[in-house]
Formats: sequence, C-alpha cells, structure tokens
Amino acid sequence: MAGDLRRWLPPVLLLLAWEVAGRLDLVASGALPALSEILSRLWQDRADYPAHVSATLAASGLGFVIGNALAVLAGLIFVLSPVTERLARGVNIAIFTLPPIAIAPILTLTLDGMTPRIVLAALGVYFVTMQATVTGLTQYDSRAADVVRAYGGGRGAVLRLVRVRGAVPAILSGFRVAAPNAVLGAILAEFGGGGRFGLGAYLLGSLGRGEPDRLWGIGLAATLIAGLSYAVFAVISRRMLGASLSLSLNPAGPEAEAGGRMSPLIGLGAVAMPFVLWWVILWVMRVPEMLGKTPWGVFDYLFLAEGAPVARERLLAALAETLPITLAGMAAGLAFAFGLAVAGRLTPTFTRVFLPVAIVTQTMPLVALTPLLVLLLGRGTAVTLWITISVTFFPAYVMIAQGIAQVPRAALELPRAYGASGWRELRLVTLPASLPWLFAAMRLTAPRALLGVMIAEWLATGRGLGNLLNQSRGYLDFGMIWTVAVVSVMLSVALYLAALWIERLVMTRKGIGAME
Amino acid sequence: MTAPAGIALSGLSKTFTGRGKRIEALRDVTLTCPPGSFTALIGPSGCGKSTILRASLGLEPVDTGRVEIAGRPPAQATAAGLTGVAFQDAGLLPWRSVSRNIALPLEVLGRDVGSATGRIRDLITLVGLSGYEDALPGELSGGMRQRVAIARALVSEPRVLFLDEPFGALDQILRRQMNIELQRIWAETGATTLLVTHGIDEAVFLADRVAVMQANPGRIVEVIEIDLPRPREPSLFSAPHFHELCDRIAGVLHGG
Repeated sequence: MAGDLRRWLPPVLLLLAWEVAGRLDLVASGALPALSEILSRLWQDRADYPAHVSATLAASGLGFVIGNALAVLAGLIFVLSPVTERLARGVNIAIFTLPPIAIAPILTLTLDGMTPRIVLAALGVYFVTMQATVTGLTQYDSRAADVVRAYGGGRGAVLRLVRVRGAVPAILSGFRVAAPNAVLGAILAEFGGGGRFGLGAYLLGSLGRGEPDRLWGIGLAATLIAGLSYAVFAVISRRMLGASLSLSLNPAGPEAEAGGRMSPLIGLGAVAMPFVLWWVILWVMRVPEMLGKTPWGVFDYLFLAEGAPVARERLLAALAETLPITLAGMAAGLAFAFGLAVAGRLTPTFTRVFLPVAIVTQTMPLVALTPLLVLLLGRGTAVTLWITISVTFFPAYVMIAQGIAQVPRAALELPRAYGASGWRELRLVTLPASLPWLFAAMRLTAPRALLGVMIAEWLATGRGLGNLLNQSRGYLDFGMIWTVAVVSVMLSVALYLAALWIERLVMTRKGIGAME
Repeated sequence: MTAPAGIALSGLSKTFTGRGKRIEALRDVTLTCPPGSFTALIGPSGCGKSTILRASLGLEPVDTGRVEIAGRPPAQATAAGLTGVAFQDAGLLPWRSVSRNIALPLEVLGRDVGSATGRIRDLITLVGLSGYEDALPGELSGGMRQRVAIARALVSEPRVLFLDEPFGALDQILRRQMNIELQRIWAETGATTLLVTHGIDEAVFLADRVAVMQANPGRIVEVIEIDLPRPREPSLFSAPHFHELCDRIAGVLHGG
C-alpha cells in the first residue's frame, strides 16, 4: 500500500500542480493551459482530428514498415560482409545524423503526395533498427554457437539456429525506440510540404492563431501516438521474450569479427558513398536539373555561379547564428544531465521518480514540443537554447542514469564496505563508471541538438540555418535549399565525428574501449 | 554396432600470439583413447585441456599434428554425428524449451526430430528432469541446465563423447550425484569418453586412465592407469586405494 502511494504520488501531484497553474494562468500569461482545458478543447476539435491523425499514422506506419524492413536487411548484410559495412559507414552516419527538417523541403519538392512523409519516417527508423540488428546478430552466445559447430554446423547453421533468433530481442527494442522517430519524421515532412492533412499541417496551421489549448491538444495527440507506438512494441517484446530473457547469456561475446585496420581505399569509398548515392538517386529518379542539385551543382552554386559570394555570405551569417547556440545548448544539456544522473546516486529516490518522466519525454515528438515552448518562452534566443538543452538533456540523462544502474552492485558496495562515504564512493566508482555513458550521450545527442536548433529557428526565431531554409523554400531558391541541407548534414556529421574523436581520445587514455 | 570409435591425437602443437607475447598452448600432445574407454584430462587452469578438446572437435585449428576420431578427421566425424559434446557452460538457447534444446544437435545434423521424441523423453528422465520438458532454460537452476546439456550431448547417440568440465559449476553434492549418473550412462552407451576436469576425485572415480597436464607449455606429463574395479560405488570415495591414486595424481600435478 505504502509502496503504491509512493509510486503514484509524484505524478498525481504533478498533474494537480499543472491543473492549478493552468487554471490561474500562472505560466507566461496563459501559455500553459490546464489539462482539463486542453482536454475540453480536444473534445471541441474532435471532428478535425480523425483526418489529421489518420494521415500522420498512415505515413509514419508505412515509413516504419519500409524503413525497418530495409534496416533489418541491411543489418544482416553488414554482419555477413564486414567490407560492405565499412563501405556503407559514411551513408549510415549521414542517415543517422541528418536533421530531417533539413531535407524535408527537398523531399517535398521532388516527390509527390505522401511519399516525402514516408521517406522521412523511414529514414528516421533506419539507423536505430539497423544498429540494433547488427548488435543483436554480433553479440550472440559463443557457447551455444560452439555446440552447433561441434556437430558440424557451419556459419549458416549458427546464423539460423543461434544468431537470428538471438537477435530478436535487440531488434524488437530497436523497433520500440524507432517508432516515435517515424512519427517525428512524418510530422516534420508535413511541415515542409503543402498537404492539407496530418498533425504537422494542423499544427502549422494553428500556430499563427495563438490558441494555446489547441496547440497543446495537437502536441498531446502527437505524443500519444508516439508513446502508444513505443508501448505497443514494449508489450510485444515482453510477451515474446518472457522467461527466455531471464537467462543470462554468456557475457564473453564472440571475438570482435575481423577487426584490423580499414584499408585507405575502403575509407575513401565510405566517404564518397553518400555523394555517389546522392548523384545516383537524382539520376535514377530523373529529377529536373533545376530542382535536383547534384554535388557539383551545389559546389557551383556556392563557389562558381554569379551569385556565389552573396550565397556564401548568407550561409556563413546563418551558420554564425546557429552553431554557437547549438554548442552552448548541447554543453549545458549534457552537463546538467551528467550532474543530475551522478548526484542521483546519492539520492536514489529522486532517480526512481525522475527517470520514468525522462523516459516518457523520449517519445514526445520534438515538433510537438517546440510550439509549446514558443508559447511559454516567446520567440527570442532563449527558446532556441531551451529547446536545445531539453533535446540533449533528456536522452543524455536517461542514458547516463541507466548506465550507472548497470554498474555491478558489488563494485558500488566495495568502497562502502571499507567505510567510504557516499561522496568518496561517487568519486571512486560512479564517476569513472558513468564517463563512457556521458561520451556516448554526447555523440548520440549532437545531431539532435542541431535538429532542435533548426526547428526552433524555422518555427519561432526566424534566424540561422533553419530560417534560411524556410525562406529559401518560400522563394523557391533551389540552390540554397540544397546548400543548407548539405551543409547541415555535414555539420551534423562533423559534430558526431568530433564527439566520437573526443570519446576515443579520453577512453584510450583511460584504457576503456569506446562503446560503439 | 558400427566400427569401434576411438580418439587418436598425435603431435598436436599450437601457439597463440597475443599482445606481442607468444604463448605455447600445446606442445607435442599425443594421446590415444581406445574404443569404449574413459579418459580424463586433468591439469591446472590454462594448461590447454580445453584447447585439446576443442581441437579434437575441429573447433580450434592446430599448428601441427593430427586428430582422428574413429579414423576420420574431426570435421567428417562431427558432421557424421559420431560425436557428442557438453561444455562447462551449458550454452542453452534461452528461447527453446528443454526438449527443443536437447533436439538441437539432431537439427544441426539434419536428422529427423519427430521420430526422436521418445528418445528425448527418455533422456530427460535419465538426467532427472521429468516434468520440465517444456520449461525454458531461464526457469531452471544452474545444475538443471547442466543436466540438459548432458542430455543434449547424448541425443545423437554418439560413439565418442567429449565433456569439458561439465560439472564445473555444480556444488560438490550434486557433482557426486552427476558423477555416479555419468558412470552409469557411459556403461550403458559404451561411448569412448574424453572428460576435461580439474577435479582429481572426479577423474579417478570415472576414468580408466588419467592424463595429467602441465602448463607453459601445455603438455601431457604422465598418463596414470586407474585399476579400480567397475562398477564403482559411491563408497569408493572413502576407500584407501582411491586416495592413494588421488595423491599420486596430485603429486604429478604439483611435481614440477
């Protein structure tokens, strides 16, 4: 009974506070309506929702299926052929880091109808599931594989009997994490496209009218869809795995497959691949030259064409606005997350209450959040910074807190057994143990930080790369649309690689391998 | 009955190179196990016992030397279903029930699983797991999982049985019980058996001959015949001659 109370009390109190604050217009003069007000508005608007919700669901659902099918297939190919994996690494990183908002305009200009939404949803799920598939297929129980091989089973038999089924839990958890991404991708494409239906279109149409309760309602609906899709896969994986999960597998996984150094030729191929793919897709789809810029077209626009100096100047000005705030927001978000997660070791109750809240925010589509933050914080630079902090803080916190939770109890208790204080235990065990997770979080949230900044710039502040993209879309300045897309993807990749480089540097010095 | 199936290892050598250091895992290991015999391989950690067993099964390549199982190279012998194996770690597939885990070797060998249902049930009874046919490994204790692995090793009716410290993770009481069971199973099947162990009493109780190994480089230093009459009863564990043999092996192990 007491345990139940302790579990339910914090959320109930939170909802109660929300209700009171909303009713009394305490936050930003009514920008945060009470939950009951939002729900009653939802009820009033109920005739609008089915068309929008079903449009978003259809696009994200189709994208989810296609993206995941491709991802599982790609993961399988990468595991079977390491060379292919090396060659595709550039493409994979580009897909992982690319801010969907940057390529949304290109997709809506070159593709028809629902296709851009489907593509963006598929791109959103691809990397997560591909990575999960590779991890699942690589980290199999080597003892079970030995048994199969001891009866004359070859690679095929090991793959079929041990590895494929063994990868199912990992793939399912990939689906679970990917599901909200599909919703996010579809909504972002709706922003860039001219479609009438879809939650993104609805949101964009309602943004100018200054009705907080409706915006919150749409945000709630989007979160609900994303959250439900997450929950569906959580339930499926629990059902499917059941008791088979509780057996701890042989932790000494198989030896890293054919490590070795990457031949420079393959490295070069990995860098060239995204550009080649870009070219080939344009060529195969017969996109008109004016609409679809090739890598050479972008280079021409920036350096050779008549208006090149002006274009460069505008781009650099936008970058000068976007980059500092991205880095500052990321640093603040990470520092905050690290501090809170580590301090959480000293006050376990806090972690127990806060971690679920932080996990829930993972399913909240960023686009739904942004207008709400705009309402709360206005259209100044502050909103950009807050969005960036929040998109880095929550995932980083979840990651670091869960990482700390994985530290073996015995390791945590050892200093205590010798009479160490909480602080000393923190310094000796928790801090070093959570460091790898901090770096992993840095690497994984860097692209999200840029995405957050660009969405805020596009929707709210009218500055930086996001705004430049939105403007160019209005003027049908195709050269600039492509340029911003390419530059923001490259920037994102650069941030990712920089984070990876720092991670490797520190971890090597500390003698811990970087976590892929 | 097919042709008698023994194990013949001749001149096995293997060297690992890791982080600039050369480790001689095996040096000129020669061992012959006659058909139907029970041989125990004993030695300190890292002396290459498991490497010998893995090499015999073709799981690990050797630098020089030859392995013959029933007169055939390991790859042929294993693919023909002549061998059975149980490792120290049960290595069960967590998503398969007990019966389906036991059936795994049959699937790998491409044999009919359906017609073996009765046999699998008998094996489950043999290892004392009746009633657990449909349990998942996650629902079993460590000792029960290990017994599943033993049943799995027997399902293909092997002529040659390889056991790599199969009871290493069990407590002493259960271990004794499993030793007595294993002796009975071995007597019933007549399979040539090679047991890797670090338990001296286990080796003496079960084996016809104990091959004692030493590390750096990994090699067999002496083969000791165990002349205790069969069947061996549990009371043997406290017999003076049993302890003499144990002491002799301990002497060779620590001898140098």
